[in-house]
Amino acid sequence: MTFFVGLFALYCLLPMVWLLINATKSQTDFVSTFGLAFGGEFALWDNIVGVFTFQDGIFARWLLNTVMYVVVGALVSTFLAALGGYALAKHDFFGKKAFLLVVLGSISVPGIALAIPQFLLFAQMGLTNTPWAVLIPSFINPFGLYLMWVYSSDAVPNALIEAARIDGAKEFRIFWQIALPMLAPATVTVLLFSFVSIWNNYFLPLIMLKDPAWYPLTIGINQWNKLGSTAGNGELIQNLVITASLITIVPLIIAFLCLQRYWQSGLALGAVKD
Amino acid sequence: MTLQTTSPLRRKRRSTTGLLFLAPFGLLFIFVFIIPILYSAYISLFQNKLIGGQSFVGLDNYARLFKDPQFYDGAIRVVVFTAIQVPIMLLCAILLALAVDSLRLHGTRFFRIVVFLPYAVPAIVSTLMWGFMLGIRYGLIGNLNDALGTRFDPFAPETTMASIGIMVTWGFTGYNMLIFYAALRAIPRELYEAAAIDGATEMQVVRNIKLPALRGSLTVTVIFSIIGTFQLFNEPNILSSLVSNSGITSYYTPNLYAYTLAFTGSQQGYAAALALVMAAFTIVIAYIVQIRGMKNAFDK
Amino acid sequence: MRKTRIAAVATALTAVIALAGCSGSADEAPTAGAVPTDEPITLTVWSWDGTVEAAVPGFEKKYPNITVDVVNAGSSTDEYTALDNAIQAGSGVPDIAMFEYFVLPFFAIPGKLTDLSAYGADELGKDYVEAAWGEVNIDGAPYALPSDYGPAAMFYNQKVLAEAGVEEPPATWDEFYEAAKKVRALGGDHYITNDSADIFLLLSLIWESGGRPFQVEGTDVKIDFTDEGTARAVEYWQRMLDEDLINTKITGWSDDWNRGLNDGTLATQLIGGWFTSTLPERAPDAAGDFRIAELPQWEEGERSGAENGGSAMAIPADAPNKDAAYAFLEYFTHGEGLQARIDEGAFVPTLSFLEDEAFLASTNEFFGDQAYNEVLASASKNVGTGWQYPPFFSWARSSYEDLSAPLYNSGEGTLAELLETWRERMTEYGNEQGFAVS
Repeated sequence: MTFFVGLFALYCLLPMVWLLINATKSQTDFVSTFGLAFGGEFALWDNIVGVFTFQDGIFARWLLNTVMYVVVGALVSTFLAALGGYALAKHDFFGKKAFLLVVLGSISVPGIALAIPQFLLFAQMGLTNTPWAVLIPSFINPFGLYLMWVYSSDAVPNALIEAARIDGAKEFRIFWQIALPMLAPATVTVLLFSFVSIWNNYFLPLIMLKDPAWYPLTIGINQWNKLGSTAGNGELIQNLVITASLITIVPLIIAFLCLQRYWQSGLALGAVKD
Repeated sequence: MTLQTTSPLRRKRRSTTGLLFLAPFGLLFIFVFIIPILYSAYISLFQNKLIGGQSFVGLDNYARLFKDPQFYDGAIRVVVFTAIQVPIMLLCAILLALAVDSLRLHGTRFFRIVVFLPYAVPAIVSTLMWGFMLGIRYGLIGNLNDALGTRFDPFAPETTMASIGIMVTWGFTGYNMLIFYAALRAIPRELYEAAAIDGATEMQVVRNIKLPALRGSLTVTVIFSIIGTFQLFNEPNILSSLVSNSGITSYYTPNLYAYTLAFTGSQQGYAAALALVMAAFTIVIAYIVQIRGMKNAFDK
Repeated sequence: MRKTRIAAVATALTAVIALAGCSGSADEAPTAGAVPTDEPITLTVWSWDGTVEAAVPGFEKKYPNITVDVVNAGSSTDEYTALDNAIQAGSGVPDIAMFEYFVLPFFAIPGKLTDLSAYGADELGKDYVEAAWGEVNIDGAPYALPSDYGPAAMFYNQKVLAEAGVEEPPATWDEFYEAAKKVRALGGDHYITNDSADIFLLLSLIWESGGRPFQVEGTDVKIDFTDEGTARAVEYWQRMLDEDLINTKITGWSDDWNRGLNDGTLATQLIGGWFTSTLPERAPDAAGDFRIAELPQWEEGERSGAENGGSAMAIPADAPNKDAAYAFLEYFTHGEGLQARIDEGAFVPTLSFLEDEAFLASTNEFFGDQAYNEVLASASKNVGTGWQYPPFFSWARSSYEDLSAPLYNSGEGTLAELLETWRERMTEYGNEQGFAVS
């Protein structure tokens, strides 16, 4: 078992190692040396400086944009998903099943079918090329809703809720103080996933945004990469693209490390006695 | 036996609470999904011409779609790919989740991050990395070929899908593993204690406690993996400009085909029809899987 | 001096435009007017060409009320998609956008670009390379001004060629063929050049050979790959492919391609002149080995050329500040702003620039201190005229890539057959899209 686990870890790590090694190479070295070997000079610091100064330091702006999109988007979407998922699991109301099916169905629709209509809709409201064009779609996390629904059904005992109701607690308070802590591993998972998914959001922002000042990191990096493959006065900055990619991953690792603690707590406080 | 203390008034309040809780999500959902989907369906009834603009053609786009060999080419490819890649990936994810759950000690945290990292890497970067590693000229495969005297090309038309499979599995196994892992961690300790008292073996614990607990998350992951894989787009799109002779066409997957139709061919109506048909198809498959899984969830 | 002449022309033009605005002349179309100088205006310019930015300070000094915002809204297809989306939504349309020559008909014919003759742009033709001017004129009216140019040229690694026993760069295609065999004889992965279904490469060969497969008049499109010039180029390239003289496993712009140029396994590139700015960073180890020559000719002593890339700038029909936009457009593609861009490395198709001595004498140690601009300037002037792209070329190009897979992957079929299938597809698509294709 450990062997399999170790092999898999290697499978996951190898491309990262490639990323790290190549972030230390200058552009010249990148083109002329073998992928997994180090270059002639150690250029990691130069590359990092390059990344932050290229095109008048727009990378820092992209970084801030992404952080903003992610923090706001992840918090709001997770909250809405938790609220909605809990409601679907524990409350009875008209149209519940239908709603779930529609939400599920919506994920099956390829982004491409939605992109242009969404663009036109947002353009009508004057929201394109603004951060709202990225934020609003990110507030909807159908997968998160689904996950929260499943976990709420499994992890929050009805008896506990009933008990609280008998005690006279209001519904929202029950949700906030009783259910939510119990759902911690699930909410943290959803938070983390939406964090990553918004961080890596690419297709829709590409269509919605035309002003580089509002780009998230993915689009910015992609644009830098395309500079090297465009006929004309493009620039080959693969070393910057790779270093930028490395920098892009770091916050995700930090987020993951921070949220790790919540993995431990997953048990209901005040267990229900049968 | 619980006491029925709920008065009709209370029952009614509960049902509006439910709706209220769902409202923020629901309203945004209508704005971000429902309206665009309806608009998309509307567009699909029109044909776009470079000269002559939009004209109403009813269901012509759909009729044409069902006779389109390029559509079938992409659709079949994506179905076969899903049928092979998803089970492999989920099996790995479950095995890993079980392993991490029981190896409570050394390196669990480290391992979790390591396995999750691929998901965090943006598509453009991961495709670049894999494009290099599987490169036959300057990549690792090239070196292997030299050493072993073989001529294996991971991006020949016959092997490209397998290579994409490797990339997708690399990217998503960790993601799914975490979902399973969360489910395993949510298992009440009493069950383990009871099993210990009964003197159950590790295998019996796995079979009788852990695996059943994974049923809910398995349904979820299967559905969403199928949905996601049907929409395969990023990897073929980026690879087509990175590697040559890979056999990746502009209609390699239905999503890629829709993208080409809309943005290169200016045929938005046709692209919308294609996207909606694929969506319908995916929904049907997801529903079938769902029915088997939902039964368990609602049987509580 | 050339520069004062440009300045004089520019000033005269501006004066003409200003006067026209003042006198309210009825000859001009209603859209042309004087550049507003009292109200603050912000111009949005979409360009992935980094040299445009260099022309901004000078222009803003001249018109203090105008601020120019140069934005990279994506390269090539990405930008065209964004523009189409913006036009469709009726919002976010830039004042000036960058277009590769082949995509101009796509936007011009359905009326998405401004006819610049209202601003007197039709007078500017004689200042540009004939072929470039030909491409910005659709149905007799200028819809864009040429901004940079890519005369097809041969970049060759003379060290590798010398190793293979080729002392002089091939001057004819027959010589090229012989050189290819010698390079291949070096063994390993050595090839004279690569081609992985690069439609621009094939078309530049056809162009140089005198072939004109596309004839466009309004919405009538005629496609024919069997005319003499085209057939000659196709047969030649087919022979090169059949005899394994071309590396079909490397795609341009890929990492493999960079490395191939760097380590010499790709001995030459038949590509646009703009390659001078980007080759040095892709092939640092080959510094000093590369030289540039004009494309090999079909007949000894001929002087014929073709284009491979280049772009023009146009004003969308829905642009918010057209008058101010034209002022800037003319400034950086024709007027005083040119010099700043040239200093940044732009290769522009204006005749005065191509004849400027300082420009012609400039050298670069990457190219072994060759005065390579002489070659490129000469190549630019030799580009054959009369070339047209079909209005749906973006789609056609992606279709070509799909269709070419069997030939380039597994050697099935021939180029001629491929072109015939492509022609059939284009005819079907074009007619469906409302053109009259035959």
